[in-house]
Amino acid sequence: MKSFVLALAFAILAAVSVAMVLNSYQEASWAAFTTSGARVGDPGNNLTGPT
Amino acid sequence: MPGSLSNFKFAGFKALLAAFALLLVFAQPAAAQLSFKPTAEAVQEDKLLNALKEGDKISGRISIPDKNAANLIQPAGRDWRDFHRSKLPWIGGVAILGMVALLALFMMVRGRIRVHKGFSGKTILRFASFERFTHWLTASCFIILALSGLNVSFGRTLILPLFGADAFAAMSAWAKLAHNYLAFPFMLGVAIMFLIWIKDNIPGRLDIEWIKQGGGLFSHGKHVPAKRFNAGQKGIFWIVVIGGALMSVSGWFLLFPYLPGNVTILQFWTVIHAVIAMLFIAAMLAHIYIGSIGMEGAFDAMGTGEVDLNWAKEHHALWVEEQQKKAGAPSDRTPHAVPAE
Repeated sequence: MKSFVLALAFAILAAVSVAMVLNSYQEASWAAFTTSGARVGDPGNNLTGPT
Repeated sequence: MPGSLSNFKFAGFKALLAAFALLLVFAQPAAAQLSFKPTAEAVQEDKLLNALKEGDKISGRISIPDKNAANLIQPAGRDWRDFHRSKLPWIGGVAILGMVALLALFMMVRGRIRVHKGFSGKTILRFASFERFTHWLTASCFIILALSGLNVSFGRTLILPLFGADAFAAMSAWAKLAHNYLAFPFMLGVAIMFLIWIKDNIPGRLDIEWIKQGGGLFSHGKHVPAKRFNAGQKGIFWIVVIGGALMSVSGWFLLFPYLPGNVTILQFWTVIHAVIAMLFIAAMLAHIYIGSIGMEGAFDAMGTGEVDLNWAKEHHALWVEEQQKKAGAPSDRTPHAVPAE
């Protein structure tokens, strides 16, 4: 039981840690896939907007 | 007779004019047919698309950083979409529901596999705490990955009508996040499992005998000698390692879609990911069944880590002998043996 609870806790901790690390490296698609000349001033808050 | 000649010429010209006029009248419908065929262009495009070979693309020129965005049409994408919409649900349905049906049939025919000699009251350590931790780390991640993955393939058909669009969208968004990020501890778990259990999972001669006798699964009271892992458990180990590796590589490409290089390779890996996932889930259903309700005393191995000595002797007789030799204990005792709870 102890191993099971520890495994669950570690899985959640590892998943959150990976999410934080990846998000720190990741660019939003509206920035990654456009040049600055093609960007609109305010891309909004839809799926492709700033996070 | 200049006048009559002139009249004759004019009459001839009129006849010629009339003939042209008639020609125009008859020709007009034909011209109208050619210029108003609404499907003519589409037919040509279809022929053009069909003429493109696998991997061919119709591309334009762009100046934005994502060069893949220059691809306007990729005909192979239609085959890929057709696979996901029609073939994959069949593969998944047959594999998963087929396995559930087989297990139900097996349970009805064979019943729960009991400890033939009954519980001895003594236990032997089967899995250390780190091994159990690794197992549950991988297993708990796998269950979430499997359920959220099945939601991708079947959710729109099975869950959306039950819960409605809003609830389905919210659930799917969280499931996708869980799928993306729990993949990493899952990959870690598979890698650790490989390292700690590989030495006990090399196939050997004993496994052939175990397979010949069906592992004793189909006959009451018959037990085939096995070391720490029998052929069935070795099969599960290699399914997890090879299946996990394939899921990891293909999943890595799905998480970082710019890695494969082009969309055709990406589509190939999505197919691998989906097909292996269905087979993997089906295999794990069998593993979960035999490790829980299917076999008496089996769950303790991953529950407390200690199994009843009689259970161990019946299913892993050679391993028990090895452990007792190592401990220098008499053949019916073990230094790990403690009263069963």
